[in-house]
Amino acid sequence: MNALGEILHLLRKELLLEWRTRYAIGGILLYVLSTVFIVYAAFIRVEPATWNTLYWVILLFAAVNAVTKSFIRENSARQLYYYQMAHPLHVLAAKIIYNVGLLALISLLTWGAMAWLTGNPVKDYRQFILALWLGSAGFAITFTFISAIAAKADNSATLMAILSFPLVIPIVMTLTKLSANALRLMNDSNTDQDILVLVAIDMVSLGMAILLFPFLWRD
Amino acid sequence: MNKSWWKITSILILVYVFIAGMLGPLKPGIIRVDPQTVSTGQELVLQVEGYNSHYLEAGDAIRAWLKLDDERALGATSVQSKSETQLEAVFAIPQYLPVDKRSQDFVLVVDNAVDGVSLLPSAVFVRQDSIDPDMGLKVWKNTPIEGLHYLKRLTFPFRNILQETIRNTYFHVALWLAMVTLFMASLYHSIKYLRKGLPDNDRWAVAYTTVGSFYGVLGLVTGAIWATSAWGKPWSWDVKQTMTLIALFIYLAYFVLRAAFEDPEKRGRLSAVYNIFAFAALIPLIYVIPRLTDSLHPGNGGNPAFGSQDLDNTMRMVFYPAVIGWTLLGVWIATVSFRVERLHQRMLEGD
Repeated sequence: MNALGEILHLLRKELLLEWRTRYAIGGILLYVLSTVFIVYAAFIRVEPATWNTLYWVILLFAAVNAVTKSFIRENSARQLYYYQMAHPLHVLAAKIIYNVGLLALISLLTWGAMAWLTGNPVKDYRQFILALWLGSAGFAITFTFISAIAAKADNSATLMAILSFPLVIPIVMTLTKLSANALRLMNDSNTDQDILVLVAIDMVSLGMAILLFPFLWRD
Repeated sequence: MNKSWWKITSILILVYVFIAGMLGPLKPGIIRVDPQTVSTGQELVLQVEGYNSHYLEAGDAIRAWLKLDDERALGATSVQSKSETQLEAVFAIPQYLPVDKRSQDFVLVVDNAVDGVSLLPSAVFVRQDSIDPDMGLKVWKNTPIEGLHYLKRLTFPFRNILQETIRNTYFHVALWLAMVTLFMASLYHSIKYLRKGLPDNDRWAVAYTTVGSFYGVLGLVTGAIWATSAWGKPWSWDVKQTMTLIALFIYLAYFVLRAAFEDPEKRGRLSAVYNIFAFAALIPLIYVIPRLTDSLHPGNGGNPAFGSQDLDNTMRMVFYPAVIGWTLLGVWIATVSFRVERLHQRMLEGD
């Protein structure tokens, strides 16, 4: 089987697994909705600057919850079985692609929920959606890779947060700046630079993940 | 040759850094002037307060200018020294200025044979009520700045905001560079551990990370002391401060990760992977992001770069040894930490 076919096959497996254990994605959606509702109940009217911050904080926690399970959901024996059947890098690639899609979906849903309950301050849709995509990719790559490390420990959920949050702070900082611009909270003429930084962070993380994964999956 | 020559060298270098860095005098400078604003057509009697200056010793040979730009300057009509650090300079401000601005700042230049030349940027602001650059050109009595005394002495530069705290360069900046070097050494051993799997490489990586994090804390503390004096408060959420804090969080997470595993092979492998990933994903950002956003640090966000102006040859004579000295000391501490860890392991295996 060629590489692309293998990755597609693994992607199908991820989707199937998600569909069969609906509680995981359902839990994330419920988390997003209840958090947004709490925000609405507490603020009623949210200022754009607060909206921007709250949006990324909600998304950050939703993302870490959604991605943590990618290497923890299945036990290590079954993981080993996958690595025997397919190239380990293809397993990682399938998980990262799946998570990028999942996070993009969650970020859109969070945006929708926030817009519905607290109003929609986004002015530049193109830029905001670009920020969502770059953010989803950055979160997905970093969190997927760290979850592969955390999965090896007993208390993986705690370890996951400790290991990954410091790593994504630069991404979050650049994202809030970029989306503040999309909300017209500030007028920054060189958003290209921020986009470039985000793309560079995503590429470096992806490269390091591919380079280091061979040392990770073996036990 | 004694094997520990470099340890002795590091101590000797640091002793030199402390003595030269703390005792080397600052170049004479100007702290403040009074009054700072004046209107056109007035006679300005300027009280100048010098620093490390010898105005009495220099006697009558002191000259002073208010400099507008590279070609134009107003000379003082009389200069009188009241004490070694007090100077009274009298300037005749013309009726009109050759600029079309309501308020124009002038650089004060004071020169004498004993202290050499000293500057105070934006020392005096001259207000003009009626703006007429052409008239200003006509009434302007230019006194070219000539024959300045550039003295070659072993003194550290005088900077108006920094003053004596410029010496912190040998500690704050040098510790920061030494920290990056130590983290790189740790990275090297992590890569080597993944390739060879020798337990010693894992111990080296931990030892270097420990000392590097310690240097990071020292860098933050010396920076906070410096910031209290230069920026008014110890912590301003400057982008470089934030990035350093994130780096420290990451290395703290590295130690938490190590504590989570019992098996030494697994612990070594996973922490090496995390170390490499974190270094590659973060350390470049510490250099990239501050250049894109506003920072109070020199060299970022439009602030003048450190090196061309601030680091003169006298400072280099202390700064470069300081970097080498702190790095060698860090390596020495790491060596001790490595050996303690190895002995600890042997003791556990021996029983």
